[in-house]
Amino acid sequence: MNTSSSPLVVDMRGVTKRFGDRTVLDDVELRVPRGCAFGFLGPNGAGKTTLIRVLLGLLPVSAGEMTLLGHPLPAERSLALARVGAIVEEPRFHPHLTGRENLAAAAAPRGIEAEGRIDAVIARVGLAGRAGDRVGSYSMGMRQRLGIARCLLVDPELLILDEPMNGLDPAGILEMRGLIRDFVDEGRTVLLSSHLLDEVERTCDGVAIIDRGRIVTQGTLAEAVGAGDNAILVGSDDPALAAALLTAHPAVIAVSTGADGSIRVTLTEGASAAVINRALVERGIAVHRLEPDRLSLEERFLELTSRLGAA
Amino acid sequence: MNAQMVRSMISAEFLKLRRRRALFWWSLVLTSGVVIAAYTTMLILHASDAVKYGPAGGLSNYGDLVQALTAFCGVASIMIGATAGGGDLGAGVFRDMASTGRSRFSLFLVRVPGALLLQLPLVLGAFALATIGAFAFAAGTPTPDAGLVVHYGVWLLAGAILDLVLGIALASLIGSRATTVGILLAWEAIAVHILAHLSFLGGVRDVLNSTALDQLRPGGGQEILSMPLAAAVVVLIGWVVVALAAGAWRTHTIDA
Repeated sequence: MNTSSSPLVVDMRGVTKRFGDRTVLDDVELRVPRGCAFGFLGPNGAGKTTLIRVLLGLLPVSAGEMTLLGHPLPAERSLALARVGAIVEEPRFHPHLTGRENLAAAAAPRGIEAEGRIDAVIARVGLAGRAGDRVGSYSMGMRQRLGIARCLLVDPELLILDEPMNGLDPAGILEMRGLIRDFVDEGRTVLLSSHLLDEVERTCDGVAIIDRGRIVTQGTLAEAVGAGDNAILVGSDDPALAAALLTAHPAVIAVSTGADGSIRVTLTEGASAAVINRALVERGIAVHRLEPDRLSLEERFLELTSRLGAA
Repeated sequence: MNAQMVRSMISAEFLKLRRRRALFWWSLVLTSGVVIAAYTTMLILHASDAVKYGPAGGLSNYGDLVQALTAFCGVASIMIGATAGGGDLGAGVFRDMASTGRSRFSLFLVRVPGALLLQLPLVLGAFALATIGAFAFAAGTPTPDAGLVVHYGVWLLAGAILDLVLGIALASLIGSRATTVGILLAWEAIAVHILAHLSFLGGVRDVLNSTALDQLRPGGGQEILSMPLAAAVVVLIGWVVVALAAGAWRTHTIDA
């Protein structure tokens, strides 16, 4: 696969999209690095699909600048999109055509090389046995796979998949997850939007969270999840003594004891768990558990999008 | 975009249309089916009472048959055009096509030759059947000469192509096949005839597509309104240009 040289496949700066008085995307700053699976998370109505449509040039922006695969948009839109495969919302096809015919129709505006890839992409997504059937008879999972096949017609550097797990059964989800990781292993970048936090956590290397049209956090999964306070969970043979000792420790901001006897210790910035361990052991307290208290992506997502408060 | 890609895109449009079985068979019924039904009926009537009913072929029946065929071919053309213009939008596929980065003008314009590839063989086939029947079943009565056949053919084709273009353009404009077919059938079957008879409209009636088209009909242009042939051709070209421009504009500006 030939690739362009830009380190960022998507670079959006101050992108704003308004529909009348309603601001759907508000000063979006999004940077997606090359060669990873990047999750794009947000509650329903947060602006995920609008952002994808803007990125694909399906909607004009109201303000801001962006590049796609290093090409400025909209000036070099056709150059950029020549190496982008995308499914926006759900994959739609002509139901009266077969899978192969749909791909032939889709390949025509993509160029001669795309037409030559039809058989290969059908085999790649495991639809060789059903490619001659009308798409009207396909299950949702088969349509998703055919949608992926359509994306692959251009040998894409970037795949943009909008809610790719929608409508898939567990086996289909597992298969889609494998496909996405395979694409990354081949050097492609996959940008997938989802509201399935667990899926993004399992599949993606990087993540951005959008809420009410604004990007509220982005980075690697670890950065996004661990961007909360610096806390550790401590398990010891004397929780009460440990809690009292740690409360007075200069590297500790707060201490709370859980119902299971574990202590949650919030550390000052830069302080490490080793400091706490040493302090406890030196006082003869046996430590059997010492682990970072990281938020799950779901907790982080809810924290950032304030959905708990809204509920 | 090179010629090979344009050919591929036209072929893809043709593929989308020809694989719609209902559209194909109904279009065939409305073209060749009408001719076959008409000749079959006239042959049976002639066989049952040769004095009362003349031969199925010949000049007189030929003119009547082509006139009827023009109306039916118009219906088929509107159906094909509306499907070509609204098919991608209706199926939700237009978004994918637009996200290829290909010019939306080209996505719109290839619909015209793609639709013509389906329509023209059907219309020309029906016209050929009608012409063959006029000679084969003439039974010694006068038959049309070559000039008249060409004249009828040009008139039939002009009307069919205009209806096809109107179907493509209007469906691209409003995004609905069914509504397009309804509007255009109402326009062609009812509205233009009413408008043509409203004398207070004066010369405005000259820009009606039916008025202009009637000038092309052999022996036409005398019944309601008369205008120079060149003016009629200009009016028809104007309809095609305006329709295509409207369809292309909408395809270019629509949110995908």
